[in-house]
Amino acid sequence: MATIAGVNLSTPSVFAKITDPKSKVQPSRSLWLNNPSRKRPAQFRTGRMHMQPLRAAPDRISEKVEQSIKSAEEACEGDPASGECAAAWDEVEELSAAASHARERKKDSDPLEAYCKDNPETDECRTYED
Amino acid sequence: MAISLNSPCSLYSPTKTHLGFFNNQRQLAVFYNKRSSSSSSSSSSKQRGCLVITCSAGDSQTIVIGLAADSGCGKSTFMRRLTSVFGGAAEPPKGGNPDSNTLISETTTVICLDDYHSLDRTGRKEKGVTALDPRANNFDLMYEQVKAMKDGVSVEKPIYNHVTGLLDPPELIKPPKILVIEGLHPMYDARVRELLDFSIYLDISNEVKFAWKIQRDMTERGHSLESIKASIEARKPDFDAYIDPQKQYADAVIEVLPTQLIPDDNEGKVLRVRLIMKEGVKYFSPVYLFDEGSTIEWIPCGRKLTCSYPGIKFSYGPDAYFGHEVSILEMDGKFDRLDELIYVESHLSNLSTKFYGEVTQQMLKHADFPGSNNGTGLFQTIVGLKIRDLYEQIITSKAAAPVEAKA
Repeated sequence: MATIAGVNLSTPSVFAKITDPKSKVQPSRSLWLNNPSRKRPAQFRTGRMHMQPLRAAPDRISEKVEQSIKSAEEACEGDPASGECAAAWDEVEELSAAASHARERKKDSDPLEAYCKDNPETDECRTYED
Repeated sequence: MAISLNSPCSLYSPTKTHLGFFNNQRQLAVFYNKRSSSSSSSSSSKQRGCLVITCSAGDSQTIVIGLAADSGCGKSTFMRRLTSVFGGAAEPPKGGNPDSNTLISETTTVICLDDYHSLDRTGRKEKGVTALDPRANNFDLMYEQVKAMKDGVSVEKPIYNHVTGLLDPPELIKPPKILVIEGLHPMYDARVRELLDFSIYLDISNEVKFAWKIQRDMTERGHSLESIKASIEARKPDFDAYIDPQKQYADAVIEVLPTQLIPDDNEGKVLRVRLIMKEGVKYFSPVYLFDEGSTIEWIPCGRKLTCSYPGIKFSYGPDAYFGHEVSILEMDGKFDRLDELIYVESHLSNLSTKFYGEVTQQMLKHADFPGSNNGTGLFQTIVGLKIRDLYEQIITSKAAAPVEAKA
């Protein structure tokens, strides 16, 4: 059957790999295990309206930004010209940019808009022009 | 299902590929070329369900655009304007990693070069190198994958996760009509540079960078003026050594400076923006004001058009930039009203618009984007139109060329 044949088998494989006791488990690198809010893979979701999983929890990034600033200040206490100091402040920049992107995305994410992007033909997504 | 090996299609089986990646950072490139197609097709009858077939955009090759800028300097805004000019919004890949950095629209795919980090966040910390440092980036893989896409071959591109700082399992990227590679180093490696059909560098002066990052970060817990300054200063040596020199290779540079209309202004609210356009670039002819090649200063505000303080000032003229002949269009000040924008647009030539007022229309459409009332938005939109024009010219010239027999 065409629809079944079309199912991408890579997702189950990822699970199989992770639950395989012989393999080296690195949960933080897996797609699903590192964030409880997106633990459920897409194919198990039901219902017509479903929200996209949050791309990133802005609060979590905010915490990371705060921590990174503290550790950058510490890393630069000894030698402000060291590579460690530059790398630590570079991490602050990277996380600050990620936090800003996460805020932007949160602002943009309207559940109806997201639904209509995937289902433009449905009644609730019709737009009328006069 | 017969697929000729000479067709621009490639076959692969995802179950085999996504796994080895978890443990081995170095095993990044997985190419699906003709050889691997034929080997995987032998098992395809048994596992048709997980077979993926990708085809390149017919006979037309992928056009590659490079966009270089520091972090937090407006690359995403530029990308949104560019993809809008081509029509249709760019979205992250459907059903993929939610932290993917890729944006895909009908014509355009934008990939973030951070995905080619060879050292993850922990690795950089241990070695004491920043992401700006070439040692933190895998230029061999960047080159191989951009080249593959230019040749119409799909690639499994790694994903650098900006939240966790780790390299996630790769995502499949099919060759689009237009591939934009944006990031810190699109013009750093000579081999990658050779693949670019057009390149842009966003050159943000230190004063403006500081002002923008204050706007971006001050509401963030833990940040202060000192931390923002410290971060800019600590990254500056690597920025100067590895990022800034790339601007000499760019076909267009957008320079963002403090205004000269208000004496000693450093608020960063009014900007002086310069669009530096290289002369003699194939399929790219610079925009000009009034008379091509002349030197002109223009204050559009006066009897016909009234502007609020501090007004608007344009200048245009030929110049030299890193030994190249260039044309520079400059705008200082900001637009307060729609009629100012239309008035300015009607006095610019060679904009590559498809109808009168297209620049204004694009600017209005995205009035909520940063820079929509000043030269950053105006010049980003213009560069977007020039890239559309470049793309269309390349397609036309290909169509006009006699069809070559395939080897």
